[in-house]
Amino acid sequence: MLGDLGTAGLVAGLLAAPLAALLWLRVALAGAPARPARLASVGALLAAVTACAVLEAALLGHDFSVRFVAENGGRHVPLYYAVTSLWSAMDGSLLLWLLVLAGYGALFARGRPDRLRACAMVVISVVTTFFFALSTFAANPFRAVHPVPPDGPGPNPLLQEHAAMGVHPPLLYAGYLGMVVPFALALAAPLAGPDGRDWLRLARPWALVAWTTLTAGIVLGAWWSYAVLGWGGYWAWDPVENASLLPWLTTTALLHTSLGGGRGRERWNSVLACAGFLLVLLGTFLTRSGAVASVHAFTESPLGPLLLGFVLLAVLATTVLTGPRQPPPARPGVPLWSRPTAVLVNTVLLVTVAAVVLIGTVLPLIAEPVTGTRASVGPGYYHRTAVPLAVVVLLLAGLPPALRVRDRAGVLRRLALPGAAALATVAAVGLLSRPGAAALTAFGAAAFVLTGLLTAPGVPTTAGLRRSRRRAATLGHAGLALLAVGVAASATYARVDERTLRVGETIRVGDVAARLESVQRAAPGGRMTVRARLVVSSGGHSHLAAPVLRYDPARDMAVTVPAIDAGTRRDVYLTLLAVAADGGSASVRLAVNPLVGLIWAGGAVGTAAGLLALSDTVRARRVRRPHPTGRRVPVAAGASP
Amino acid sequence: MIRRAGVALTLVALLAAAAAGLFRSAVPAGRADPVAAVAAGLRCPACQGESLVDSRSPIAVSMRQVIADQTAQGRSPDEIRRWFVARYGEEVLAQPPARGPGLLLWVVPALALLGAGAAAARTMRARRPARVSPADRPTRRRSRRPVWWLAAAGLVALVVAVAVAADRLAPPTVTPRTDPTAVALKLAYDLEGQQRYDAAAQMYREALRDRPDDGVRLRLAFALLRAADAAGAEQAAGQVLDHAPESPDGLLVLGLAQRITRPTVASATLRRFLAVAPAHPAAPEIRRLLGS
Repeated sequence: MLGDLGTAGLVAGLLAAPLAALLWLRVALAGAPARPARLASVGALLAAVTACAVLEAALLGHDFSVRFVAENGGRHVPLYYAVTSLWSAMDGSLLLWLLVLAGYGALFARGRPDRLRACAMVVISVVTTFFFALSTFAANPFRAVHPVPPDGPGPNPLLQEHAAMGVHPPLLYAGYLGMVVPFALALAAPLAGPDGRDWLRLARPWALVAWTTLTAGIVLGAWWSYAVLGWGGYWAWDPVENASLLPWLTTTALLHTSLGGGRGRERWNSVLACAGFLLVLLGTFLTRSGAVASVHAFTESPLGPLLLGFVLLAVLATTVLTGPRQPPPARPGVPLWSRPTAVLVNTVLLVTVAAVVLIGTVLPLIAEPVTGTRASVGPGYYHRTAVPLAVVVLLLAGLPPALRVRDRAGVLRRLALPGAAALATVAAVGLLSRPGAAALTAFGAAAFVLTGLLTAPGVPTTAGLRRSRRRAATLGHAGLALLAVGVAASATYARVDERTLRVGETIRVGDVAARLESVQRAAPGGRMTVRARLVVSSGGHSHLAAPVLRYDPARDMAVTVPAIDAGTRRDVYLTLLAVAADGGSASVRLAVNPLVGLIWAGGAVGTAAGLLALSDTVRARRVRRPHPTGRRVPVAAGASP
Repeated sequence: MIRRAGVALTLVALLAAAAAGLFRSAVPAGRADPVAAVAAGLRCPACQGESLVDSRSPIAVSMRQVIADQTAQGRSPDEIRRWFVARYGEEVLAQPPARGPGLLLWVVPALALLGAGAAAARTMRARRPARVSPADRPTRRRSRRPVWWLAAAGLVALVVAVAVAADRLAPPTVTPRTDPTAVALKLAYDLEGQQRYDAAAQMYREALRDRPDDGVRLRLAFALLRAADAAGAEQAAGQVLDHAPESPDGLLVLGLAQRITRPTVASATLRRFLAVAPAHPAAPEIRRLLGS
């Protein structure tokens, strides 16, 4: 019953989305009224809402006749994780994907219906149609199951351990799909005639929305990985992680090339806007088709060929539409010591990092048919390529305050103090400890950025920050520097030990000691849970830590949930690896990770900077450009969160 | 004048101190361990995308031990790496060698850097209005278009290459191509050769989990016997004999283990062994044992 209703929702979307494409095409070509087209876009959104709501209802009502619920639901699953199970497996997450995509479509449809917007809406509607078709035909979660099982296995146990599961995937999807708007606008610009010249102004707030949510999503994902997977890290250069990083890199570049109206960088803007969404599609293909083995890729599926075909089509359409263009208008050259130069260098570097991550991710796919062996590209490759490039990018983030003056001497004078701070940091840290060249330069670059931002005129006071036109950039670059310090410090100064302890024995790492008190086993509802209790003491303080080892027989999977004592200076990270059958001893891993908190703080500051930039952009437009029709500026309506 | 000299002096001092710090820390303290350095370049065959340094699987532990042993014997990191490649194939490398498709790892980023750099340089140059020199215009346009189409064709070719590769992969392989069981077995033989029977037994157990094979179980029993775990050996041999009651090797290990655990029944088992396989290479030794 619920299953039929859900399928009906998908089919309704499959009808509404192409209808919207046709109606928007009519608006674009014949200047027809936009109201029916808008209604069709809203119809597609309603269809996606219906499908999601029905699947949620089935999950919460334990309707195991629905295939997705039979595979991912369970009577033992707590309410919160029952709600999040919607996106815990592929077919359901595709519904969330559709919901977000149709939501962006309906929001963007609200603005002034000029030719540019109509053309862009055609593109968005075509993309929506494709994903509705994918969900209906290739990954329909609503198919009936016979006979109806009495219970289900519940979602993947790894996804039932952390509250971040509730927000990480939706944020990530909001980031991915937000890029469809700049992409559609870049494609539409050459088709829309005179309207098309304004595409970047329209696209930038959407790129900001996408960037902000994607940043938050990626950092939350790293936090989840740190808090649940129990290996002590947060980033493994895994294909799924790389797939989220790729569009982030190009969108970061786009946010910079589009500064100041993007004048003189027209081509860069359109290529980067297209690249963002194309990389989202490519990433979707890589992670959803089972083509790349990954820790958190969804398993094999029939979606591969369909997604690949769509990626190809999108690449072709982009090439044909944005390829040959009128030569840009005349303009003066860019002075060497100026912000545009820094923006260009930054873009070149970010594009190179993206190329590194892209080839590292797809190489196993390319190499296997050629050599017959399954090559793998480990973190070592990225440490040698992406990390040095990232350090240079970080250095560039310290330049904007200095580049506010125009002459070379002035720029150098303003760079003197940050430069001295950077050199002093490198000298002090390098002589006191031996963190390695990469981390050391990262510390130096972070000192350069932070000093530059703090000594810039007008910034250190809150009033100065409030007045500053570039306050979002200042905040964002500070967040990046904090993140870099956290990453470099936790990667170099972390200390780990692993031992099998009998009850009463102690493991020591530096000044932190953990004594095993007891090992308890329990098996509620068939899920075996082993909990070790340890007293962790350091510097006169002590507290109780209880890392958990959980075994889920329904999925034959063990989950090691670490006990983390997070501090401002360092985290004490305890993992239970194994226990003896008699419960008298346990293998324990004790890690002391310094400054990990800075990574999350940097991510939060970056997200806040994105929100600030968004509100500044929207407010500036409301003030500066009252719309001729007297209505609010279209962008403001769509972009306000 | 004095101020400028002071600034210059400070700058030189800072530069020197920073260079000293950088030089001193070029070899990070954490990676000074040669075993970890080699292990970082090798992949754990039983895991997905983890290097030997990070992995906690028993195979990785044993492979790290092999690295430590070979390092102790004075082998260079390159020799150890070659030894692993010769034994387990190139899949064991954490990063493909820089030839064949592996070369792409360096060529593609280099091309991206050069291409984007060239485009940036062109953006930086001043552009005169196109109509100032009408004679130039067609040539300029002609020269720009092939570059664009070439780049576009390259992009499409990349996607097609991915498509072809993805097609070959169907149905998708989730398990890594390097068979963890085979690696575990090879490691176990190596460990036995080095007379580290405890570790070898652990590897055989690992292999048995995925491939419950009597041959492997017998090797496990032998290894346990040599590791002085007679009870374990007896149990393993017993399992073999459950499937094949006449297995000569099973009877042999069982008998030898029973000599330690239950001496009263040992001679009966060994006699049965002699009856089943009078020509076994170990038979004369057993006859000697029983005779004495």
